[in-house]
Amino acid sequence: MYSKQTVIRNVSGLHARPASEFVALAKTFESKLTVKRLDTEDAVAANAKSIIKILAQGISVNTPVEISAEGPDEKVAVDKMIALVDSKFGED
Amino acid sequence: MKILKGNPVSRGIAIGRTYIYKAFTADVHESYFEAGHEKEMLKKFMDAVDAAGKELDAIVESLSIESPEKAKIFSAHKEILYDEEVAEEVTEMINSDRAMPEFAVDMVFTEFAILLSKADDPLIAARAADLRDVRNRVLRILQGEEERNLANLNEEVIVVAHDLLPSDTATLDREKVLGIITEVGGATSHTAIIARSYKIPAVLGVPEATEILATGDSIVLDALDGKVMLVPDKETIQEYKDKLVEFTKDELEASKYLDRLPLVASGEEYSIGLNIGSTEPSEYIKYSDFVGLFRTEFLYMESEHMPTEEEQFKAYKKVLANALGKPVTLRTLDIGGDKSLRYLVLPHEDNPFLGKRALRLCLALPDLFKTQLRAALRASAFGEMLIMFPMVGTIDDIRNAKAVVDEVKADLRHEKIPFDENIKIGIMIEIPSIAMVADLAAQEVDFASIGTNDLTQYLHAVDRMNADIVDYYQSMSPSMLRMLGNIFAEFNKIRKPISVCGELAGDPVAAIVLYGLGLRKFSMNASNIARVKRMLSNFTLDEMEAIAETVQSKATQDDVIAYLETKINNREKVTLTD
Repeated sequence: MYSKQTVIRNVSGLHARPASEFVALAKTFESKLTVKRLDTEDAVAANAKSIIKILAQGISVNTPVEISAEGPDEKVAVDKMIALVDSKFGED
Repeated sequence: MKILKGNPVSRGIAIGRTYIYKAFTADVHESYFEAGHEKEMLKKFMDAVDAAGKELDAIVESLSIESPEKAKIFSAHKEILYDEEVAEEVTEMINSDRAMPEFAVDMVFTEFAILLSKADDPLIAARAADLRDVRNRVLRILQGEEERNLANLNEEVIVVAHDLLPSDTATLDREKVLGIITEVGGATSHTAIIARSYKIPAVLGVPEATEILATGDSIVLDALDGKVMLVPDKETIQEYKDKLVEFTKDELEASKYLDRLPLVASGEEYSIGLNIGSTEPSEYIKYSDFVGLFRTEFLYMESEHMPTEEEQFKAYKKVLANALGKPVTLRTLDIGGDKSLRYLVLPHEDNPFLGKRALRLCLALPDLFKTQLRAALRASAFGEMLIMFPMVGTIDDIRNAKAVVDEVKADLRHEKIPFDENIKIGIMIEIPSIAMVADLAAQEVDFASIGTNDLTQYLHAVDRMNADIVDYYQSMSPSMLRMLGNIFAEFNKIRKPISVCGELAGDPVAAIVLYGLGLRKFSMNASNIARVKRMLSNFTLDEMEAIAETVQSKATQDDVIAYLETKINNREKVTLTD
């Protein structure tokens, strides 16, 4: 199990195109990947490979999140996912 | 031979076979299978997902060139289709609960749709509709039914449906659709407008058409009189073949009037405008003097996100370019609760046509309104643009809307972005309350255009989409004629341009009366230009003024029409001699 935290900084948050890119990247890894909001008490870790689960989280800009992975490529997976978020998905 | 009657909304004749177009409705029940069939059922589910994926690929491909925005919607559907969580849960339900694939799919997709619809962000909540769409596609495949859309027709057919949605008409194969019959809808419904612009004969408001007719039935569609003949005998078929020849000939004759100067028989001029609703150039612009109505709703309805200022600016510039230097009257967003946008959840209202729509919606959503106005004003630097507000009910509405325009102008000036400082601002006259104070309104605007479809609806308290009460929708009633005459008079008095852009302007018989009442600007669908020009060229100003005066004293619309028929008496059918 490996996790890292970051903050969503792109304007449209984890919605629409960014969400698609997020899920597409997640699917390239073998490990189980989750993303969890850190700004609310009862947030549950959501499957990062499910577009529906990601959309349902409603993660918008300035939301702190934790990305975790469990599996053979867990470290590389988390690092790459964090890098994608930090790149702001190419928005501004 | 059975004869069905309906409202002929797009002139023409079609002889051929029917295709009953029914939207798929899933009828799923809680059901389970016997132990031992898990693998088989799972395979059924996976195969259905694959088949759905292939369908979506085909759709994306066929839309990607002409409508890339629409294609994105279906790409998003593919994403949902292959969602991991969905696959896991359906698999679980099939393996552990032994739920039938249809039942499992229905439960899981619906569960997720509900989950999404609870999201705070309305954009996310709106995606629930996508989930339902994908669910229905998979269910349809599981139930062994063919894909239904009008884009992939194998042969020429006459389409019969309860109603056609913009998504149906937008992708229909114009080469293969010989005619359209629907159970609901009126002359001004979306289907009617599309049918006319595609020159497809259409008869709407034929109750139970989808029950009475079956796919493959041989019929004659008479969209001149408004009749559908089922299993026509040889004589009828021949009769209509002849009528079709005559109709085609008449259309050809009328088309000779297209490039003539718009003059009445006594030499006075008038002008012809074109009504458009897309960025597609029209070959009819060369037969028009102006674009009297540029509907902007398509930008909002065909996109999966709020159209940005840049996107709108580009579109408006293109429309100005298409107009070859002629003025374009841009109507700001005219939409309400009856439509649904993928990215903006419009409030559900009991009476959307009396609700927070069009200008009211824009004034309540200043960001949306300003974005459109900014784009329009920026485009105005590249051609002659006029801005027109829909759904104006009072002088306050006009002043409030103009105030926003002034704010936007100030912003653009500050940002040093060029725009037409003298841009003309006007209104649609479609609500009786503003028509009643036409004199006051004329003082506040640079021009106005009358939306006779909605004006008739609001004046006569008739839902123009309701085929059941179509007789109450009277666009040439004495009430309408008096109201129109008064509006023309008030605007003509202070020399402010007044036009009619509703369907009435494109009706040759009505055009005579409108001209006689004082109208000189007629804006219409391309398909009506030739016939209106032909009709007006056959009457003198004096004749039309006399006709207009007489009809105003008639008591009912029937009396008006009967009188007009005696005066017109096929005069316009005189062949062009030069």
